[in-house]
Amino acid sequence: MNGINRIINRTGQGLRLVVAAGALAGLCAKPAIAADAKPAMDPQADEFLKRMGDYLAQAQSYSVTAEVWQDIQLASGQRIQASRTIELQVRRPDRFHAEVRSTRHSRGLFYDGKSITLLNRVKNFYGSIPAPGTLDEALDVACERFGITLPLEDLIVSDPYRSAMQTAVSGSDLGPVTVLGVPCEHLAFSEGAVDWQIWIETGAKPVPRKIVITYRDEEGSPQYTAILSHWDFETKLPDFLFNFEPPAGASEIKVEEIKAQSEAHTKEGQ
Amino acid sequence: MNFANATFLKRLGVGLAGFLVALLAVHAQRQEPARGGGGQPSRAPSQAAAPSRAAPARAAAPQRPVMVDRASHGSIRHADTHVVQRPVAERPAFEVRRDVVVHHDVDVDVHRARFWNGFAQGRRWAALPLGCIALVVNGAPYYYDDGIYYQPEDGGYAEVYPPVGADVTDLPDGAIAIEAGNLVYYYAGGAFYVQQDNGFVIAPTPIGVTVPELPPGAVQVSVKGAVAYQFNGIYYQPVFVNGVTQFQTFMP
Repeated sequence: MNGINRIINRTGQGLRLVVAAGALAGLCAKPAIAADAKPAMDPQADEFLKRMGDYLAQAQSYSVTAEVWQDIQLASGQRIQASRTIELQVRRPDRFHAEVRSTRHSRGLFYDGKSITLLNRVKNFYGSIPAPGTLDEALDVACERFGITLPLEDLIVSDPYRSAMQTAVSGSDLGPVTVLGVPCEHLAFSEGAVDWQIWIETGAKPVPRKIVITYRDEEGSPQYTAILSHWDFETKLPDFLFNFEPPAGASEIKVEEIKAQSEAHTKEGQ
Repeated sequence: MNFANATFLKRLGVGLAGFLVALLAVHAQRQEPARGGGGQPSRAPSQAAAPSRAAPARAAAPQRPVMVDRASHGSIRHADTHVVQRPVAERPAFEVRRDVVVHHDVDVDVHRARFWNGFAQGRRWAALPLGCIALVVNGAPYYYDDGIYYQPEDGGYAEVYPPVGADVTDLPDGAIAIEAGNLVYYYAGGAFYVQQDNGFVIAPTPIGVTVPELPPGAVQVSVKGAVAYQFNGIYYQPVFVNGVTQFQTFMP
């Protein structure tokens, strides 16, 4: 019995030590958690992203196809996904062409170094906005003045790495996975209310194979998913691909500026 | 052995209690500076657990989180360009009715089949659909069913343009909430409803407002050489808004 008591006493002392250690750990745990919670950039994630960014930045021209899935919330509150495909052609420093297609919509976007033209192929409407300069300037003019987010613009910019990292506050490397059978490295980044993930092909051609953007500050945190395929850095992309020619019977319509939209008046008619 | 177990459990209990006390003490210490110093009366642990910045903010902030709307998705570079803050609690579209579509300028392929999509001005019917509601607008008799209006004609009924002043208790299914000026309109079947008392009244069509789709049966016309559409005396011109084709009301 004494032996048992000694063991229990020792166990009790041990427990007290454990409890004391736990209390000390409790004292220290908060700062440790706080430090963990502090946004941090995983150097490996940063390196993978830079490798991809440099690869795309150095490419003089390329084309890629993307299948996009976008969360939509129906009026009933039900969440669904809408899809479309994007065929993108880029020639640096100042050429861009995209065809965006879904079952009921078909749009073309052209940038020839001077202006961006939108073409609604279903209605046969087109409209142009002046955007002289480089691809970066054109993307910014389109979005900031006209509210037009050009498809996959994060891959089009002259320095995709720098553009993406401008606002990123944390990043992590989640390890190797495959996207449609292609070995990739899965990276996750966060910038305030927007999280984004990217899957970069491992090996000699570090191109993105999948991108997911999560808008945490929107109702229901909708996601935008792009799965990229058919990367082509070899085929030459001639001028005519980027120069817009109105199709037969097409009508030119106005492209609204954001400022004009906010000034829409409500004069009553009828 | 039983005694030994009891002692063991007792010591374990004392030890855990000590651990909890230590944790609470640490927690209380952490809360003190945030509450403005040690002179403040202590609060219950559950109240003190609230983040310090939440206490003053709670009075002014809305009950539900502030959410945002974006014109489009798919960009990291411009994730914060043209983001509109919209307190969820103040969304009239969701508070008034849940089957109202909040207007987003997104280019997505979602087909929304609505009853009023099938409207055709002047189309004759021998009988009214079940559930039609009888209305009197400006002294004239009408019948209403989910966004479509009928008037008696030659022993039957004809579909007619939505009459301004019609007062209905429910919005047509799938009405689209559109903000213009300081008003929220609910656009459905070519009519612009505004909330009034316990119902919705068709207002005169606001000129200069942009809608995501044409009224059903709008006829294509040419105005000064430009393509336009006409519905019930109102003209609509196509425009690209946020890169998406929409239609703006105008008077030539």
